[in-house]
Amino acid sequence: MKRKNNKFNKRSPNPLNKLSLFQKSDSRFPKKCPLSGKDAPIIDYKNVKLLKRYVSDTDKIMPSRITSVSQNKQRKLTSEIKKAKILGLI
Amino acid sequence: MNFYEHTLITKQDLSTPELENIEKKYKDIITKTAGKVIKIEKWGLLSFAKKIKAYGKGFYIHYKFEAESITLEEIKRNSIIDNSLIRHLTVKYKKLDTDTEYFKEKDINEKKK
Repeated sequence: MKRKNNKFNKRSPNPLNKLSLFQKSDSRFPKKCPLSGKDAPIIDYKNVKLLKRYVSDTDKIMPSRITSVSQNKQRKLTSEIKKAKILGLI
Repeated sequence: MNFYEHTLITKQDLSTPELENIEKKYKDIITKTAGKVIKIEKWGLLSFAKKIKAYGKGFYIHYKFEAESITLEEIKRNSIIDNSLIRHLTVKYKKLDTDTEYFKEKDINEKKK
């Protein structure tokens, strides 16, 4: 737990303090998974409204590095999206 | 005994008695092979995201039931032969939630409020 808390607090005060332009900033805020935690929406192939958010314009499944969905939920999402595609809902 | 969900997609140019026949046919198959129908939902006429076998629309019928594996084979065998069906899908569940309906049409009275 301690290590996790450190991650949140670790923020450089000024982004201009960097040595070079391409140096990675420490201030990157870790985004939480939108599908886990309390009162998260149910991932189901009938819940088309939710699934459409995680599909691109050309009906491809969005990678988790963009949507910041956790690994466990991403696996569930892909299987449900594929079921919805069979029924022609997406 | 396990819980299952089964959805059928029929062709769009069917009359209402024909649709009721199809709904009854698969309900009978489940009950004949010692299964138990928990709920039947009619989602109505929905348009597909993409064309399936040159069809643009279809009627959706959704079953929630409890059965053994024999009924699944029976359903699958029947729906492959059936000419009026376009597609079907069965999903196994540990727990069924019968409360939430995603394809329910909203009442006019609720919209006003």
